[in-house]
Amino acid sequence: MFKVQSSKCFLPLTINWHKLCLFLKRTTHTMRKSLVFLVVLPLLAFSIGHKFYVTVTNVNYSDKDDAFQVTTRIFIDDFEEVLKERYGIDAYLATDKESAIADEYIEKYLRTKFLVHLNGEQATYNFIGKKYDDDVVICYIEIPDVGLETLKTMEFDNEILTDLFDEQKNIVHVKWNGNKRSFVMIKSNAKGMLNF
Amino acid sequence: MLFLFAVICFAQEAEEPEKEREPGHLNQSKFRQMYDELSTPNTYRSASGAPGPDYYQQQADYNMDITLDDKNVKLYGEETITYYNNSPDDLEFLWVQLDQNVRAKDSKSPLRNGNGVDIAYTAGNFTQTYVTEPFDGGFNIDWVKDASGQPLSYTINQTMMRINIPQPLKSGENISFSIKWWYNINDRPNDGGRSGYEYYPEDGNRDYTIAQFFPRMAVYSDVEGWQNHQFWGNGEFALTFGNYNVNITVPADHIVDATGVLQNRKEVYTKDMMKRYEAAKKSYDKPVIIVTQEEATAKESSFAEKTKTWKFRTEAGAPVRDFAFATSRKYIMDAQAVKMGNRDVMAVSLYPKEGNPLWEEYSTKAVVQTLQTYSKFTFDYPYNKAISVSAKSIGMEYPMICFNFGRPNADGTVSDRTKFGMISVIIHEVGHNYFPMIVNSDERQWGWMDEGLDTFMQYLTEQEFGENFPDAVAPNEKYPSRRGDPSKIVPYMAGDQESISPIMSNPENVYQLGPNAYSKPATALNILRETVMGRDLFDHAFKTYAQRWMFKHPTPEDFFRTMEDASAVDLDWYWRSWFYTTDYVDIGVKGVKKYYVSNKVTKEMQEYMDARGITEADLPPLVYLASEDSENFDENLKGKAPTEVSQNLNEYMMDNMTAEERSQVEEPKYFYEITFDKPGGIPMPLIVEYTYADGTKENVTYPPEIWRKNDSEVSRVISSQKELVGIVVDPQQETADIDTTNNAWPKKEEKSDFDKFKEQVKG
Repeated sequence: MFKVQSSKCFLPLTINWHKLCLFLKRTTHTMRKSLVFLVVLPLLAFSIGHKFYVTVTNVNYSDKDDAFQVTTRIFIDDFEEVLKERYGIDAYLATDKESAIADEYIEKYLRTKFLVHLNGEQATYNFIGKKYDDDVVICYIEIPDVGLETLKTMEFDNEILTDLFDEQKNIVHVKWNGNKRSFVMIKSNAKGMLNF
Repeated sequence: MLFLFAVICFAQEAEEPEKEREPGHLNQSKFRQMYDELSTPNTYRSASGAPGPDYYQQQADYNMDITLDDKNVKLYGEETITYYNNSPDDLEFLWVQLDQNVRAKDSKSPLRNGNGVDIAYTAGNFTQTYVTEPFDGGFNIDWVKDASGQPLSYTINQTMMRINIPQPLKSGENISFSIKWWYNINDRPNDGGRSGYEYYPEDGNRDYTIAQFFPRMAVYSDVEGWQNHQFWGNGEFALTFGNYNVNITVPADHIVDATGVLQNRKEVYTKDMMKRYEAAKKSYDKPVIIVTQEEATAKESSFAEKTKTWKFRTEAGAPVRDFAFATSRKYIMDAQAVKMGNRDVMAVSLYPKEGNPLWEEYSTKAVVQTLQTYSKFTFDYPYNKAISVSAKSIGMEYPMICFNFGRPNADGTVSDRTKFGMISVIIHEVGHNYFPMIVNSDERQWGWMDEGLDTFMQYLTEQEFGENFPDAVAPNEKYPSRRGDPSKIVPYMAGDQESISPIMSNPENVYQLGPNAYSKPATALNILRETVMGRDLFDHAFKTYAQRWMFKHPTPEDFFRTMEDASAVDLDWYWRSWFYTTDYVDIGVKGVKKYYVSNKVTKEMQEYMDARGITEADLPPLVYLASEDSENFDENLKGKAPTEVSQNLNEYMMDNMTAEERSQVEEPKYFYEITFDKPGGIPMPLIVEYTYADGTKENVTYPPEIWRKNDSEVSRVISSQKELVGIVVDPQQETADIDTTNNAWPKKEEKSDFDKFKEQVKG
């Protein structure tokens, strides 16, 4: 059988296993374990049929460029819905008739909802572009001139889609020089702080 | 004395060899035969993988009267089961499956998982979890009676009911008994599950896609005895073949379809529907609408108080293992005929207006393609019809009928992912008719045996659909299959070992059922077909398996054995690696050493001779290869023909070959010793592309057995007239190699996905 939790969450047909339907707990020390159980629970035939709204953002430090390379994976239909609600745009993402102004508004939205502070100062970042992978859009963002050697703190404000979905969860994985750290952001707690 | 002892000890310690003697070990070869993993063949199941001379299977026939109470959303049924004991054993009791009990109020299923406090709850989720009473959707058994109407005692243990028959059912005998039951139908999109109703608040109607709705016989077999492993929710079904005779009573304005052949079409169809159905039976190129959207929509605002009874029977010679049905006044219906040998099969679709325009255009088309492709690779579809029913957010399979997702947006627009998602799920679920409905594997124990084989066949069917309907897949050049391509399984196989299980695991106990039961086995079969066996050998063996086990109950061993039996390809290493372990593929080029023919004795050879007190004169004429980093190498050797350098070789060739033969010889000038390493656990064919200085390429595939004596690295010598400039392992990425950074020589600096994208954007 194929079971789909909602239009958001094709399981197991539409396989974006690594980013779907996370079952996360409050405590960070159990988080890695919880991630292990990732897509299991929603598969149960009688698991509660509420929708899961999740984005996954990977932040990788590039030594070569002294930059953070950020990719954010957002479900296309969620993103379309927020562009429609917030800006009144029918974006038709990933279709032949994709709106010419879609990129502009995607960037505008991200700059409003995804903020990064380095050493307490808001970092300016470059929105490089987007591409599609099955039912998600991947946004590429670069934070240049990091100065990792003098970097003490990095702070994320990730409110992507929380203006539309109360139950939105935004996950951020940061990797630098072989270190890893993960955050789960929700509407009421959309901040994540990293000390280097 | 003490002092002395200490000295002796010291001396002994000093004399000990540097390395302790290693202990012995069992046969650890990845190529050893699977005598430990596979059960011993016997007279029920032969070593060839075919059913043995004493193979048997039970039979369960059902007569049922089912009534839907659409107003109160309840289902009532009375059934008589006739059970034939074809086993050599006498049975003291019978086991009947009560799958609906998984959603009984006191079901243990929700209790079997650990949980914790979520970081946040929606109000609705919180209410459902902590405030409201759980839905009670379990079976209510009114009575169980024997053939003479006397009550039979029974015991219910969760989803299994033991019928305590007064006398054992002897081998070769049969028994009839009856059960009366009812249950509350669940709101499937909200409560979950495979069966249930979907409510449409706009018009107050429901559609019902109803399955595992009646007490069903458990399987009794030579492998499991009674397969009475509880239904917990993930592990699907194990069912006995039989004949069904089912009457379904629903409101008179409903459209019904179900497993079996409709017996009273004239009573339940309108005259228009009959006319259109007759036309559909002769329409082989496109579907004919049997119930129009206007007719279906017109019924939405009323509610028939009268009822109609739809009568279905299965055909002799085409038994089914289960029965399901769909019913609603909202259904639109279309159908088309498909030639199947000398018979016709009807491809049918049922959908509410909410499914259009998508369903009208693609559902029946996808059903037709599935019947054609699957039949080509297995056997002719033996049933009279295959129905695809629109059901929000699931895909679920039953004999002849399946429930599939895919709805357009409210404004009628359809995204590509909805369209392809729908076509894919229809292909997959209709395809399940072959695995496990006809090739009747035990899903409760082995999810991959039907899901994996079906997902593999789904990939082949999707690709053929793309070839047959290029307009439907444009602008893609081929159908965008989500599973099957080796590259798609890499993230899973490269994943955290803590969260992956071998394919040969029970579906209840795996971490990620999707890759575990669907994508990984499907990809493993695809790689087996394209890269390991080749299409001809694979296809013949796969078809042999399907035909040997058509209308029977195969086990994993029967599949593994048949694939080898029919192809003469030893695949034990493949089954072990891909199906019994969580190993992954990672093969690379470790290093390349260049050599040239030299007339000087190499250092290693000199040492060899010195050690034995012999000289060159004691040996036959020898030819030497000098490595580029050795003392014997000098630049002058480069580009020279071996006979120019080695007098021994020149003399040998003059003595042993005619002048004409010598003139035809093209002497190799370059020699390379290439070391391939294998950080991954799975031995695979070593597929290598060699590129030479003049741009020509040569592809060599070394069989997987190249790894049989050294599982971690192996060297090969290449001789060539041209300089070798590049080596790539698995150039077409057909083995699901999880790390391709080590696949090339000279090593290529692989750019990250981010850098690649950035370059592409910046142009």
